[in-house]
Amino acid sequence: MKREMVLTVNGEEHDVEIEPNRLLLEALRDDVGLTGTKEGCSIGVCGACSVIVDGRLVSACLTLAAACEGKKIETIEGLAEDGELHPLQRAFVQYGGFQCGICTPGQIMAAKALLDHNPNPTTDEVKEWMSANLCRCTGYYKILESVMAVVEGKVDEGRRDEAVRQARIQSLYQSDTYKSDTSD
Amino acid sequence: MSKAENFAVLGQNVDRFEGHDKVTGSAAYVADVFLPGMLTGRILRSPLPHARIRNIDTSRAEKLRGVKAVVTAEDTIKKGWGVFFPDQYPLSVGKARYVGEEVAAVAAVDRDTAEEALELIDVDWEELPAVFDAAEAMQPDAPLIHEEKENNIALTIDVVRGDIDAAFKDSDLVIEESFESVPQWHSAIETIGSVADYSANGKYTVYMNTQTLFMARMRLATALGVREADVRVLQTAVGGGFGGKSCDDNNAMVAAILARKARRPVKIINTREEEFLAGSRPRVNMKVWVRMGFKKDGRIRAKHMRIIADNGAYSGKAPAITGVAALRHDTCYKYSDVRSEAYLVYTNKIPTGAFRGFGNPSAEFSVEQMMDIAADELGMDPFEMARLNAAEEGYVSPHGNRVISCELRQCIDRTERMIGWKEKRAARKPNRGLGMGCTVHVSGKRHFGDYDGSSATIKMNEDGKAFILSGEGETGQGHWTAMCQIAAEELGVPFSDVAISEADTDLTTFCLGNYASRLTYVAGNAVKNAATAVKEILHDTAAEMLECDPSDLVSRDGFIFVKGAEQRSISVADVVRGRQFRRGGAPVVASGSFDADSVSQDALRFGNESGAYNFGCQAAEVEVDPDTGHVKVIQYAVASDCGTVIYPIGAEGQVEGSIAQGLGYALIEGMRMEEGRPVNPNFSDYRLASMRDMPDLVHEFADSYEPTGPFGAKGLGELGMDPVAAIISNAIYDAVGVRIRTLPITAEKVLRALQEKKKNGS
Repeated sequence: MKREMVLTVNGEEHDVEIEPNRLLLEALRDDVGLTGTKEGCSIGVCGACSVIVDGRLVSACLTLAAACEGKKIETIEGLAEDGELHPLQRAFVQYGGFQCGICTPGQIMAAKALLDHNPNPTTDEVKEWMSANLCRCTGYYKILESVMAVVEGKVDEGRRDEAVRQARIQSLYQSDTYKSDTSD
Repeated sequence: MSKAENFAVLGQNVDRFEGHDKVTGSAAYVADVFLPGMLTGRILRSPLPHARIRNIDTSRAEKLRGVKAVVTAEDTIKKGWGVFFPDQYPLSVGKARYVGEEVAAVAAVDRDTAEEALELIDVDWEELPAVFDAAEAMQPDAPLIHEEKENNIALTIDVVRGDIDAAFKDSDLVIEESFESVPQWHSAIETIGSVADYSANGKYTVYMNTQTLFMARMRLATALGVREADVRVLQTAVGGGFGGKSCDDNNAMVAAILARKARRPVKIINTREEEFLAGSRPRVNMKVWVRMGFKKDGRIRAKHMRIIADNGAYSGKAPAITGVAALRHDTCYKYSDVRSEAYLVYTNKIPTGAFRGFGNPSAEFSVEQMMDIAADELGMDPFEMARLNAAEEGYVSPHGNRVISCELRQCIDRTERMIGWKEKRAARKPNRGLGMGCTVHVSGKRHFGDYDGSSATIKMNEDGKAFILSGEGETGQGHWTAMCQIAAEELGVPFSDVAISEADTDLTTFCLGNYASRLTYVAGNAVKNAATAVKEILHDTAAEMLECDPSDLVSRDGFIFVKGAEQRSISVADVVRGRQFRRGGAPVVASGSFDADSVSQDALRFGNESGAYNFGCQAAEVEVDPDTGHVKVIQYAVASDCGTVIYPIGAEGQVEGSIAQGLGYALIEGMRMEEGRPVNPNFSDYRLASMRDMPDLVHEFADSYEPTGPFGAKGLGELGMDPVAAIISNAIYDAVGVRIRTLPITAEKVLRALQEKKKNGS
């Protein structure tokens, strides 16, 4: 049975009439009309549908819309203010933190959730946190560079300065290593 | 070597053309397309790997409230389509040949209704014997998948160059090995989808996330039985392609057939499960037997390769992929006596197809390990052996590939230095090992029709901004940005004064699209030629306005100057307006074409397949845990020869993404199949590497210039992917002395090999 409710998205209230089993992903995309949140795997593994609900990062493909009633929902559309890009968005553009862009809203929301709680994460903390967001294009190197540029307050700085950018890249990938799977 | 050119725009890390759209969530992907009255389409798929359809009853589904159309093969012209063999139908005709094949489809007011309707379709199946292994499928008693294809063989290749028997006799060392690769799914984070509309005047409009727009139109027209002009295909933003969105699947055709019947727009977006079952066509898996002969000094003397390639149930691009696996790698090293045999064989599984590397990764997994084995047996350093054999400028491969620019030796030197080969080999650590390998790829390939070209149109706006019309499209690599940079450089305007169109078959000239690492080189040349033609018009008009000779003019930063008298100048905008707003006025618009100096291979598969060849060398350092078989990649080094680097961030991104996919292919990606059915078709079981999995990566571009490329550029996108798996295997051998010949190289396989080695006391 459909029910009327109010979803507060990016500070704006939206009246929607939805089934109780409606997913937050469907409600955002089809009912509210905000298509920036993307569907990737539908099982909460890839992170493409990451949004922030009351300060917590959630997969919109696993979250019921009805459970978000009365809560503060943040999506990619709410980041830029008056056309001014959020530092994370600027960093992703300047450092090439995306290629096809389909996982990008989720990557940026995940990074925002991290930085909202911990503005000064280490490189390893960023890698660990961002490992819940899959990307098939970039190999993650430039996503890490983008996030670390924000952490280090270097957005707009490394821009077009190859020496600065290359020096930063060198410092990012020294610790962790690729591990093979145990399963056959 | 590079030409010392002072570029104004090339080589700059400009902001990506569509960057702001992608970081704000406003880029419109196919799932974001909503048309008035749009229905949701869902597809009924074969649950069986090989089965005859006795009857399909759709009457119950049709009666369900909210269902607007139900279609089966009876709603189609039953005409096969396919780029090489027309063996595929939009909806099964007579029988289904793999689990997931499209049998019927429904368009309804919402997804739940459509899915309920699918359950109301009754198919009377007669199960047939099926075959899942390509080598078994070639046996005389194997069930026939396509009745007219004897022994299930889709294609046979057998080419001999030189005197192979004499060359092996003349060899000091002959080695023979067998390798096996597995299907790899593209796993783009966005699945394949389409929105199709059919208008009363008989025209189809299809929004697609395709890499190859005009090929999509060609296939839609064939399968729908209409003229190409009756189909308009518009490319939406594409959420990752890697070959998987080059239109060898049926998604858009089914949407179009539903839209025609329902007379309403229909959207079909593959679920992740559907994407694995019948969406993007996974990499062609191959069994490869290789025999190679070497001279004592390390020179390659002879090579004989035999490939059995798994086609799956339908052909798609696998015939061309098999050809690439059989022949391409012979462009990497210099030798002349070769035999290449290949069999492409039908099986009752998802059709295999194009994936970054196009056959080359399977070949390089084999041959680059052979090089390592030979170096080991000859007691040579693998880098020395690679340098000795490396292709160079002017090399012509045994199959006729003509190499113009080639910096392979430079790449070998750079990689050796980056990975610290000599230092690390001199101070070896237990269970640590180093491996290396080389790679070659094309910059476009003459496959489809006798054409390996592109075209573009540039029109100048009256504000001086150039607008490129191109049907090549953007799949994520940054080609729009690179094309705008090339046009800006040639026109002498700032990057911000160039824009590029979305790809649309109604509005742009014919373009082949995004495959074969062709866009920077082939499409870049076309854009450059269009810009040259536009610049000529601008200079002619400017010469009239400045009262000088056009040959005295030069363009820079959006202005046109008189050489040597630079106070005499005029803005591009003033020239465009001056030409437009006058009696007999005309727009500033011109097209440019380019067709690469390649040739269609002859009946014996001889012929220069591409206009330019890109080369690379890579090396890895790994650590193997002898107790668990775990492989850790400590460091990875890549040197790539892609000619002039147009858009550095984009080029680096291609290298980084290639290595990530290559490491996935080498170590973790594999789908468990039971009776042709993927067991767990989802992202929690088909694992992709995540950020914490990535090794330290160092990479460099060779100082290189391709004379036939736009400002010296050539292709790059696939090159990095090709040799990764072999290099990891070589490094594992160097670390612990076991060689894994099948992919993926799991910890279990390594551990088993270590135990075996211990048992044999070797």
